[in-house]
Amino acid sequence: MKLHKVTQTVTLTVFLGLLLLATYPFPDGLTADFFLRLDPLICFGTLIASREFLVYLLPGLLILSAALLIGRFFCGHICPMGTTLDILQSAVVSRKRTSVKNNSYESTQRYRRWKYLGLIAILASASTGVSLVYWGSPLSLVTRFYGLVVYPVLLLTADWALQVTGPLLTRTPFSSLNYLQIPERVFSTGVFVFLLFFGMTILGYAQQRFWCRNLCPAGALMGLFSRSPLVRRRVNEDCTKCGLCVRNCPIAAISEEPAKTAHSECIVCLRCMDVCPESAISFSARPFHKPVEKVNPDLTRRNMILALGSGLVTAGVLRTGIHQPLPRSRERALVNAELIRPPGALPESEFLARCIRCGECMKACPTNTLQPVWFKAGLEGIFTPVMLPRLAACSINCNTCGKVCPTGAIRDLPHIEKKHAKVGTAWINRQNCLVWEQDKKCLVCDEVCPYNAVSFQPVPERVNAAPFVTENKCTGCGWCESKCPVEGTSAIRVNIIGEIRLASGSYVDKAREYGSHFKERELGPERLAPGTFDSSTSSSMDGTTPTEPKSSEEQLPPGFTIK
Amino acid sequence: MPFSSDRRELLKKGLAATATILSGGSLLLNPRESGAEALPDLVVVNGGDPAAITRAAVDALGGMGRFVKPGNKVVIKPNMSFSSGPAAASNTHPAVLGEVARMCIQAGASKVAVLDNVLHTPEECLALSQIPATCAAIPKTTVNVVKSKRLYREVKVPSGRQFKSMEAVAEVLDSDVLIAVPVGKTHSASGVSLSMKGMMGLIYDRTSFHGRYDLHDAIVDMVTVLKPHLVVIDGTRILSTGGPGGPGKIIPLNLVIASADMVAADAQMVALGTWFNRKFEPGQVKHIRLAAERGLGRMDLQKLNVRNIKI
Repeated sequence: MKLHKVTQTVTLTVFLGLLLLATYPFPDGLTADFFLRLDPLICFGTLIASREFLVYLLPGLLILSAALLIGRFFCGHICPMGTTLDILQSAVVSRKRTSVKNNSYESTQRYRRWKYLGLIAILASASTGVSLVYWGSPLSLVTRFYGLVVYPVLLLTADWALQVTGPLLTRTPFSSLNYLQIPERVFSTGVFVFLLFFGMTILGYAQQRFWCRNLCPAGALMGLFSRSPLVRRRVNEDCTKCGLCVRNCPIAAISEEPAKTAHSECIVCLRCMDVCPESAISFSARPFHKPVEKVNPDLTRRNMILALGSGLVTAGVLRTGIHQPLPRSRERALVNAELIRPPGALPESEFLARCIRCGECMKACPTNTLQPVWFKAGLEGIFTPVMLPRLAACSINCNTCGKVCPTGAIRDLPHIEKKHAKVGTAWINRQNCLVWEQDKKCLVCDEVCPYNAVSFQPVPERVNAAPFVTENKCTGCGWCESKCPVEGTSAIRVNIIGEIRLASGSYVDKAREYGSHFKERELGPERLAPGTFDSSTSSSMDGTTPTEPKSSEEQLPPGFTIK
Repeated sequence: MPFSSDRRELLKKGLAATATILSGGSLLLNPRESGAEALPDLVVVNGGDPAAITRAAVDALGGMGRFVKPGNKVVIKPNMSFSSGPAAASNTHPAVLGEVARMCIQAGASKVAVLDNVLHTPEECLALSQIPATCAAIPKTTVNVVKSKRLYREVKVPSGRQFKSMEAVAEVLDSDVLIAVPVGKTHSASGVSLSMKGMMGLIYDRTSFHGRYDLHDAIVDMVTVLKPHLVVIDGTRILSTGGPGGPGKIIPLNLVIASADMVAADAQMVALGTWFNRKFEPGQVKHIRLAAERGLGRMDLQKLNVRNIKI
């Protein structure tokens, strides 16, 4: 087996394994976002956009400095995006006949500058504090693809497979497999992410690894550092110029003159070395070798200025989007009740600068409440995580989203801090409420509230007690909204009002300062979380309420009647 | 399990009627002696060893062979919904459950599946309840959590008042014998949770029971279909308050109740136990009363042939 196939298999497996493990309960000490931190574009783009030196992004710098020594080794061996495209290429795209003419560096130069221009635009935009990293970072794109598209489809397939094979399994020693509970995951924007990858696969018809050659800004960044790396492709005098290497290069980094290499393009996959019939090709370090062997991309000054300009203009347009915090402000300009950020999310402007929209937090969210937002937050907020309490609530004891966030856009908080990171406040929509509007018995929001923030009080002209929210007890976790039995729009909804967003410092202290008292309901040693127990721990809609006419029945424990 | 067979229903009713007449008649003749010869409707065994009293109870009822024929597929419904140990009394005592499973296998069952749609984290329920650990030594016996929708199948509830169909565990519908082995405990919505309420661990949509339907009526609808052939109630200790999950007041009663009549078994447990620090009559639990009214069993304990055994 070829070296690049071994390394690619290993790295993709590790990448997928880490992504799979990014869930709740979160394994202690796991760096689930390790691969994302390797991406030099995520590192550079985020460091510039956030204007902070984030130690945990340093692996990206290491990869970048490694490019000085071994070129774009990362692209050919480590990058899961590259491996994925290679797999899709061989699985879907029929192998194109190549010739020296159509697969030489010179003949395929046409689009290569795009990645540099994209890089310039992204870095220019980052310099104004607007992160466009997510449009170009291969690790962000591929994590999003596997986490939000492949993973849910796989779960669905696994469930289906068990349904089909289950009855047979019960007769084997693996009968317990039949009962395996496969979680269900649904995501918005999945179709778009899928189409993006579909498009990349289609581009493979035009050129193998089209993305890596022409579009990947992270590749461009590494390309800048690997114009003449220490270890590089060298061709000796045995070369017969047969052109086999030129035809086989997946990235078309070899010149029509096979001794010349575009090192900034070469991904060090070593295919050329393997196919050379004369064994004339080697990858070695010979610092004082004559430097005639390289060719470089043609970037005109006009192009670069154009890219710089478009990056700045894009940043300006996005920065003035209606959902963005006002310039020089940390607060949101428009309070959109539906844009509930995960607990521990930085103040909105810092959050948007840091979030690379990789989808790791959404993949990891055990309840599925974290969803990528589509255009609801404008183009500037696309793919950022929001909570969707109508779908599911935030799990009280889970702090995984902060643990897996590669850039710290969601802070990695200890449990006690996370429980005080208020994301909003529940509000009762009386017109939708069964009690307020129809005077029916319903206590669900009170019963599921983990913080006792909903109370039922007698109100005039109604037989049944009606729900009220105590704002300073509510963390906005969304249990009430997720379980409200009203169909369609919930009668109790989480609104971002009162959210606590801190770039640093303690949420516990801040919550106290704001006069909040988040105290979990006594759950006893059973650790009975709301929702785990049927739909309610107690009487639900058949429960008695304080305003009911006093009867002898009321003295009885729940469920019993008079003789 | 053929659930909606009229013939069986007729036979069962016929048998019940015959049993009533016979037991009634026998009372007239010589209560002490003839009562001992006819099979009792219900057995209560007191004793310190959970496994021994369980076996004695089923034996006194005519032995497991009365319910399980060779080659039968058996499903046992325990309480193991909560991540707590046997002492907490929110789950069935593993020794009681294990003994029932062992007797099924000894009666020739081809397999015994212990199934429950648990409420807490499945792994914790399985580990802490100690039920899988106890059953591991019993051949052909498996303990599993049924949570995935694919394990359920729609079944008609012809005599249902609240609903006409429901989704129940397919394996139960395909089995020959259903045995309920609940623990005696209180329940914050249904008063007590015994063999009938416990069957909610074999259906998919429990939310509607609490939200859309009248809970007690819905429980009775459910057990017209999910009607256990044998009920063994674990009264070694009961969760007298704080049910179903606890923590609450735990009272050791050191008894096991066995009956082929789920209503009678539940009624007997209510009568013997103390619930929320009070004594109740079986009819005060609405779903027990409704089940008796709808002819699913009897709660008139005084008129039943009850055998009390001490070991």
